[in-house]
Amino acid sequence: MKLVLVLVAALAAGQDRPQTVAGCPGASQQFYPCAKAKARAFNPPRMPDGTPDMRGAWNNPTTSGSQNIEDYPGDSFLGPQKTLIVDPPDGKIPYLPRWATKKQENLQQYIDPFGTCYPPGVPRHVYSPRGHHILQSPGVFAIVSEFAHVYRMIPTDGSPHIGNDIRLYMGDSRGRWEGNTLVVDTANLTDRTWLDIVGDFHSDALHVIERFTLLDPDTIFYETTLNDPNVFTRPWTMAFPLVRMEKGHEVLEEACFEGDHDIPELLETYKLYLGLNPPK
Amino acid sequence: MALAAIPAAAQTAVALRLGSGQALRLGSGQAPRGALPRTDDGKPDLSGVWQVLNTAAWDIQDHQAALGVPAGQGVVAGNDIPYQPWALARKQENLKNRRTADPETKCFLPGIPRITYMPYPFHVVQTPAQVSILYEYLHATRNVFMNVEHLPGSIEWFMGDSRGRWDGDTLVVDVKDFTDQTWLDRAGNFHSEALHLVERYTLVSPDHIEYEVTVEDPKVFTRSWKMSMPLYRRKERNVRILEYECYAYVHEEEARRRAVPPR
Repeated sequence: MKLVLVLVAALAAGQDRPQTVAGCPGASQQFYPCAKAKARAFNPPRMPDGTPDMRGAWNNPTTSGSQNIEDYPGDSFLGPQKTLIVDPPDGKIPYLPRWATKKQENLQQYIDPFGTCYPPGVPRHVYSPRGHHILQSPGVFAIVSEFAHVYRMIPTDGSPHIGNDIRLYMGDSRGRWEGNTLVVDTANLTDRTWLDIVGDFHSDALHVIERFTLLDPDTIFYETTLNDPNVFTRPWTMAFPLVRMEKGHEVLEEACFEGDHDIPELLETYKLYLGLNPPK
Repeated sequence: MALAAIPAAAQTAVALRLGSGQALRLGSGQAPRGALPRTDDGKPDLSGVWQVLNTAAWDIQDHQAALGVPAGQGVVAGNDIPYQPWALARKQENLKNRRTADPETKCFLPGIPRITYMPYPFHVVQTPAQVSILYEYLHATRNVFMNVEHLPGSIEWFMGDSRGRWDGDTLVVDVKDFTDQTWLDRAGNFHSEALHLVERYTLVSPDHIEYEVTVEDPKVFTRSWKMSMPLYRRKERNVRILEYECYAYVHEEEARRRAVPPR
């Protein structure tokens, strides 16, 4: 049998979303304060070096596979979604007025860069479907995702970001422990990734802070703040849970590009997204 | 970054790591055996960024230089690949057609062991239950699950199904369930979906891994054969694996071509 993995647009239709996670409401805006309080009170299992132990396989049951990060009622193509955005309180991305039509232009004219199997960028890969392994060893926190086999190697050894002229789809992430929270600072990103399937975007000035905190043995409280003064009026924050997958879960190979045969056809109608400021 | 934010025990480990590329875990209460860095569970610590320094990516056997191809001493034991007669003919055909037939030209995941000796570094992350190898080339990954059986059924993966165990101080990885879509080098050396590999990673100094791989494929070869080579630790300050997103660059060229109006 040949296992051919084809990228399907309707990745996770959004059905069967849990109403509660770890005793907190599943929807991000209600999850956020509840998770924050629980995480503050929880004494997590620890690695031999004393840092919290988050090793294992994790999934994101309240997101819809990076289809839409704002409120969405759902349609024949995309599942319904409650906004992942907890700040600003209206749950909307605070775009600068001059970008008012850009998202719609992206959606109508361009192929989602993740649809061509390019690395999804940070933080999109965290709310992409099919699970992640977290591996920890002294000085290292690694996230290996099944979707498009992307990974992040996050040094936690105090080392600095790489030079500003090197740009990476997945950016350069550096972590540090603040109490029981892993704080990850990601820079060196490109402007070639989107934030979801419907064209939400950023520039190469995007700077991402993520916070990973266990709130019980099987739940990570994840929050991420995106700052990009070229595109947003202010920094804004998403939050959602990562839930431990069944014991022994194995993240396997998804050979995304190798099974993707529709790009020539798509290029007849849509354009490749080569960034907010594409090369001339 | 302020070290003050890090728990004390972690600071000790961090300081040892920062202070020495050898990362001896002197604070763990375990006497270091020899000069090899070891993990908390006493295994040789293979963590870090590694890369080969050879020409196997072009041809795993002895070969002359050619335009764009550095001459090289092969990595195959005895320099002999025991092809079945039909397979030797196919290899020669592959060599002739390599500019279009080599799966590398399609930017597909290059398979094992080929990705090991391509001229790109990879990062090993080691835990007791899982060793993940994260490659710069095409953000390829391998999750080596330790001390568990292969998945049942005839599944075909570009990068195979990897299962690991420790044989003394050597990490032994058994890899099977491959596709027949990958080659072994740019010279047309190939295998079928029946490929079965046994890789052995032995840390021989803090900065060198002796890598040996036994290649078995009853559909293509008359017997099993071996390759071996050192893996070198990348020692540059703040070195990390970066990205080589092959097909994204191909698409970009295509988009440029389409953007230029025909004359």
